[in-house]
Amino acid sequence: MSEFRPTLRPALGSKQPVASATFGLSTLPEGTIIHVLARPGEQDVAHLLASLNGSDPHALRPVSPDQWFIVRDAAMPNQEMKGLFAALEPRASGVDQSHGRVRIRIEGKMAQRALSKGTALDLDSSAFPVGQSAVTLIGHIAAHITRVSSDAFEIIVLRGFAESLWDDLTRMGLEFS
Amino acid sequence: MASLVPCPNCGRRPKEEFTIKGAALSRPGADADSENWFDYVYLRDNPRGAYEEYWHHTSGCRRWLVVMRDTLTHEVAACRDATDGSRSERRK
Ligand SMILES: [Zn+2]
Repeated sequence: MSEFRPTLRPALGSKQPVASATFGLSTLPEGTIIHVLARPGEQDVAHLLASLNGSDPHALRPVSPDQWFIVRDAAMPNQEMKGLFAALEPRASGVDQSHGRVRIRIEGKMAQRALSKGTALDLDSSAFPVGQSAVTLIGHIAAHITRVSSDAFEIIVLRGFAESLWDDLTRMGLEFS
Repeated sequence: MASLVPCPNCGRRPKEEFTIKGAALSRPGADADSENWFDYVYLRDNPRGAYEEYWHHTSGCRRWLVVMRDTLTHEVAACRDATDGSRSERRK
């Protein structure tokens, strides 16, 4: 048997958070991300999701028509996830993406300005208010962006792209750091 | 080329977020003769003007869209989700 043992470590574990008066960049806990896909023709699956989610702090983020992310800071126990997936059927299916995607928080007065350097998405709060989500490109990397407060955004990115995106975001914020 | 595409799901987005498949044509029936299939697979009119194409919003909603654009002026006249209007309707 090989001596090699893969170790699970946070994708952005080696990165130093950025915290200045107007620009901040930090990693979020690698807790739970579940991708939910509704079956074609199903109506009101968002309501079903809201009712299933229980009381643990979580967020339901629209991804695209009939698709959502369920996001939690804490890891979801296997049994609970199995139960959730079973409850979604047959109207929708859940896929565990907790180890496949990483969350990054970008905040501060200049966060919107910095993020706008990388995406064509209109981030003005009139077009992209608190609670709104969108999938778009940041540079060449596809990412899911949510405005979580007037001066803060949460970004969900595929794990393999997380370091690269982090470095890009750091560079985009350099003039404000 | 149209540089801002009005995705019905996402709003106006730059063309870099999309992948273009090509002309949106009616697919021949499975039992159509080889001449029809040859035409469908290989022959294109390449018009100067209005053109209907399949675009995939790869870095957005990941939905297939039908974009109607003008190859001369780059204007986009319409953009709809490819599932609007049933597939059987589009079949000859
Ligand atoms: Zn779209």
